[in-house]
Amino acid sequence: MPSFAYRKCTNLAEAFKLLKEDDRAVPLAGGTDLTVGIRGGKFRVGALIDIKDIPELNILLADRDGITIGAAVSLNRIISFGPIRENVPILAEACHCIGTYSVRNRATLSGNICNASPAADAAPPLYCLEARVNIAGPRKKRTVSIEAFFTGPGQTVLQQGELVTSVLIPRPYPAGKGVYLKGSRTGSVDLATVGVAVQRRGNEVRIALGAVAPTPVRAGSVENAVNKNGETDWAAAARLVRDDISPITDLRGSREYRYHLAEVLVRRGLEQVMEG
Amino acid sequence: MSKNVTINFSVNGERETRVVEADLSLLTFIREQLNLTGTKEGCAVGECGACIVLLDGNPANSCLVLAAELDGKELLTIEGLARNGELDRVQKAFIDHAAFQCGYCTPGMIMSARALLERNPSPTDADIDEALSGNLCRCGAYQEIREAVKSCSRHNGEGRIE
Amino acid sequence: MPALNYVGISVPRKDAVEKVTGGAKFLEDLYIGPMLYARIKKSTVAHGRIKRIDTSKAEKHPGVKAVVTGREFPNKVGLYLIDRTFFAVGKVRYWGEPVAAVAAVSEKSAAEAVELIEVEYEELPAVFDPREALQKEAPLVHEHLETYERVPVFYPTPGTNISNHFKLRKGDTEKGFAEADLILEREYHVPQMQHVTIETHKAAALWSHDGKLTVWSTAQSPSIVRQLLAKSLDLPLGRVRVISNYIGGGFGGKAGATMEGLVIPLAQKCPGYVVRIVFTREEDVQGTFTRQALYARLKTGVRKDGRITALQYEMIWDGGAYTEYGVNIVRAAGYSSTGAYDIPNVKTDSYCVYTNNPVGGPVRGFGMCEMQWGIERQIDEIARELKMDPLQLRLINGMKEGSRTASGQAVAHVAFDQCLQTVAEAIQWGRKEGRYRGKGIAGLVKAPAQPSNAASSAIIRINEDGTVHVLMGATEMGQGMLTAISQIAAEALNIPVEKIEIRVPDTDFSPYEWQSVGSRTTYTCGKAVQMAARDVLEQIYRLASLELGKPAGEMKLDNDTVYWLKDKSKQVPLKKLADSYKKDTGEGVSGPIIGRGSYVPTKMSNLDPETGQGNPGLFYCFGATAAEVEVDPETGTVKILQLAASIDAGQAVNPQLCRVQVHGGTIMGLSTALYEEIQLDRGRVLNPNFTDYKIPTIANTPPISSFILETAEADGPYGLRGIGEQPMISVAPAIANAVADAVGIDPRTFPLTPERVYKAIKEKEAGTHSIPG
Ligand SMILES: Cc1cc2nc3c(=O)[nH]c(=O)nc-3n(C[C@@H](O)[C@@H](O)[C@H](O)COP(=O)(O)OP(=O)(O)OC[C@H]3O[C@@H](n4cnc5c(N)ncnc54)[C@H](O)[C@@H]3O)c2cc1C
Ligand code: FES
Ligand code: FES
Repeated sequence: MPSFAYRKCTNLAEAFKLLKEDDRAVPLAGGTDLTVGIRGGKFRVGALIDIKDIPELNILLADRDGITIGAAVSLNRIISFGPIRENVPILAEACHCIGTYSVRNRATLSGNICNASPAADAAPPLYCLEARVNIAGPRKKRTVSIEAFFTGPGQTVLQQGELVTSVLIPRPYPAGKGVYLKGSRTGSVDLATVGVAVQRRGNEVRIALGAVAPTPVRAGSVENAVNKNGETDWAAAARLVRDDISPITDLRGSREYRYHLAEVLVRRGLEQVMEG
Repeated sequence: MSKNVTINFSVNGERETRVVEADLSLLTFIREQLNLTGTKEGCAVGECGACIVLLDGNPANSCLVLAAELDGKELLTIEGLARNGELDRVQKAFIDHAAFQCGYCTPGMIMSARALLERNPSPTDADIDEALSGNLCRCGAYQEIREAVKSCSRHNGEGRIE
Repeated sequence: MPALNYVGISVPRKDAVEKVTGGAKFLEDLYIGPMLYARIKKSTVAHGRIKRIDTSKAEKHPGVKAVVTGREFPNKVGLYLIDRTFFAVGKVRYWGEPVAAVAAVSEKSAAEAVELIEVEYEELPAVFDPREALQKEAPLVHEHLETYERVPVFYPTPGTNISNHFKLRKGDTEKGFAEADLILEREYHVPQMQHVTIETHKAAALWSHDGKLTVWSTAQSPSIVRQLLAKSLDLPLGRVRVISNYIGGGFGGKAGATMEGLVIPLAQKCPGYVVRIVFTREEDVQGTFTRQALYARLKTGVRKDGRITALQYEMIWDGGAYTEYGVNIVRAAGYSSTGAYDIPNVKTDSYCVYTNNPVGGPVRGFGMCEMQWGIERQIDEIARELKMDPLQLRLINGMKEGSRTASGQAVAHVAFDQCLQTVAEAIQWGRKEGRYRGKGIAGLVKAPAQPSNAASSAIIRINEDGTVHVLMGATEMGQGMLTAISQIAAEALNIPVEKIEIRVPDTDFSPYEWQSVGSRTTYTCGKAVQMAARDVLEQIYRLASLELGKPAGEMKLDNDTVYWLKDKSKQVPLKKLADSYKKDTGEGVSGPIIGRGSYVPTKMSNLDPETGQGNPGLFYCFGATAAEVEVDPETGTVKILQLAASIDAGQAVNPQLCRVQVHGGTIMGLSTALYEEIQLDRGRVLNPNFTDYKIPTIANTPPISSFILETAEADGPYGLRGIGEQPMISVAPAIANAVADAVGIDPRTFPLTPERVYKAIKEKEAGTHSIPG
């Protein structure tokens, strides 16, 4: 007997109905986290509701509001989307360092954030870009800020039966450079030991980190020092990141090394975006 | 909700209709129900690429895909590359450059390389590295693989472009 | 030597077309017959008494055909020290040890049933560090070591966890140290690693109704598997048949008998069914041979002029829970313990120690990567103390023609200095390129580690049309055996390679081959093939002589024709002779032409139990690696800028395949240097899949230049020697030496992960340098 059921949906209403029918039903996007999690016993599911063929979720467009990235859009589409490369290259850069080419062919941005790994590479740039997550449920729609979206490791504000429909990168786009620096063991196809996004917005900077706390985090102390106190000694500013993070020791790195690496990468990010 | 799913798809150019169990992976389906055993399993978690096939021309790790998701798609496996007994140019290049040893990673590697050359007929070394870094080769034939793929580039004198 | 026609040519691989088309059949690709699927129940403690196993629920589960536990199959199995059972009996000794197995009509049913097996353990005190396992109060992993059968060249110490203590005494170390101007003593460490062949371990067994056993296995060594299984099951050899198909990588992990035993008891309970087991990646990493960790202590004495006068080497190996194979790695490392260097006075103690860690066993290099890590690192440390160029120090002490190994064996046809100089030149040795860039070099030597009488055999059949079948028991796991042996047969017969057919082995049809391990098969099988070819040619020439009326000694075979050397126009087509040759009158003269070759080394010997002196090496293959790296001192990231590898192959049978092998070995060495380590928590592997057991991708692969030297090995077929494992051996130390050169730290363990390198740099700045173990 198959351990779960599968249904492909072609419209949102159908998806909501199916998700409601079975409280162990979960949405299936690229499946690159879900299938691995099911195999490893991390997820026990009753049904997979395939949302990839729902037209609304395949939207990828730039308009007056910003860039809307539908929940079914693959990372590779995002990476090669002109308006993203031109206006918010940091996002393309971060998506590009997720997994392998073939994984990125199926993996989605929404899946990356819904899976809510503290090391999700797409999250830190979304923090810097103040992305908004569009959520829909059987009855109502809501929008939350990316920072409010994550609530813990593997946990988000999503309620059973709700879907992320898209992520919006709002206008105005940042005037200034942004970089995503990923520290990992091999530098090729590896999960982040520490991920750091640094985005300049005019004279200000926004910094967010992954893999150093239960959720991705903003480096508020560093931002304050630079944006409010006019700190231009980037090393001094970067040192403050230690107050913003609370890393743990795991297979990919020790707590101490993560503190150190976060500091180095934040400083390098600042140097790269604030100078020149 | 049904635990059996009817799928319509094409495999290596042939149209097919099957009924599959909802939790069956595409990899197992290809190997055990389509009996196309060229596609391999090396990890079952998307890391090794031995299971890579092309879905509508795009490389996919078949261990991460459900057979049910094949509905409406075109599937190309390693068995579908040679036409009328004539090897594909990537296959030939792999032989010419001895770009494998045990050959276990080879089907997935060739599928990734094929897809790369389709979307980018003149890849640089960096393009090759990025396109193939999802295919692990424990025998370490990477240098030869790189050369083999490069030899298929449009910008390469050796390249045989049909 | 006369010019060669087929050896030394880069012909395409024999298995090439099959492998690029997906047509090559690996074990799991076969449909052999009505199939049952096996799954194992694995222990969840590292050391524990099995108090209760209840299989009743599993037996009743739909689809289940058989369930077995260790109680029913207590027979032991093992290559050198027979200490292992198919399933745990009475107690488990490592996390993940098989305690029971299920055969069912589907994978799913088997997997579900295994979950229904209940096992209760009484946990026993466990030991995970071999240094602790040597202590008096350490828990014993094997209480009855004295009762275990063993090959008498291994020396266990009953009542302890020592399963082999290899001793080597050469010269007089006291005198040697007294002569030294500098004595350096350091500890080095090598972690456990896994082969992670992309094809995991698999096996299938069929117990026929007439009591015959057929086993399909990913085994590197079907003959040995047959022998070990027959002995363990008390079956006559003739009733056991073992088939190895194409193997998706071996590297030692599939040597000996590994997991075939798991399906046989199930097959015996389900006659007529093929019972198959396919290890998941996680099962493979946790449950098959790992490279034994090594704790090494080296004390080297050296004169101011750079001459090494004495070496004292202590090796403590983490053999894991069973050391049936591991004991020989410990021995091989012991008798080779001076590496590629000529050291007059040596004292070595090499201990194989049981722990409750995963089972140790052979891995590419068979102890040489581990043992030579310490040697090659220490030479660099000495060079720095002496303010001498590390290359120079190697050249001074490196083995030369006639040098003696640690075991006192004289080496011949040695061009080690050339191996070193070639790679040094390739990376512009001596030129400093930048602040955080560094260069490193390391040498290597390896002989096959095999019993002194490890044999090979071959049969050559001349088909009726003059084409050829070669029958061999060697396996094809990527190393190119099929191609190399075909080329040797082609050369020996003077028949083109395209006309030579050879298949993967099946013990019912293939003649005996000890094992496809130790970089020995091309050499030993090559010898057997040469002998078989000679036998065939004698038969052909005898018939040709009858046909042409000229002396047999004056005949020559060229492809499809035999001609008289003195007048080429006197000739006869081979097929006439091969198709049951008859006279023109119709009277039969000779049946089919079949040649046989049977080879055993005759110059190897056992070693003296007290001094370890003797001749353990069939041949010694030398080589070297040089590396250039750049270190990011802030993150600790090591970037390999270039690698150069040299190997003295004697004669490259197929230069292209030889090169692929050198590159592959170099990349595996790079992988261990930078990434690979099994992370254990009380014996449990924490990184059993590629998500956290990292190996390099193509993007991690720097340009490698390779140099194949050809200093002919006098006794080797066409002068060749094996090169399969060798290219890996010197890579990790070369990279570490380059890192040391770049940032002044002294790596004493690896992998050199960013975190480890960063920490060492920090410690150096704080005045407490060296990478901790
Ligand atoms: C080999 C490999 C390497 C990887 N490397 C990296 C890496 O380097 N960095 C990194 O960040 N990640 C990495 N990942 C994980 C990455 O692929 C995923 O996080 C991916 O982005 C998830 O997207 P998906 O569409 O595949 O999600 P799915 O697997 O389909 O879903 C993930 C989770 O989100 C839920 N979900 C999906 N879409 C929605 C939606 N619209 N609304 C509500 N819930 C939803 C699902 O129910 C599930 O719980 C790797 C994965 C693999 C297999
Ligand atoms: S088996 Fe699919 S990626 Fe390894
Ligand atoms: S050829 Fe063996 S894994 Fe690539």
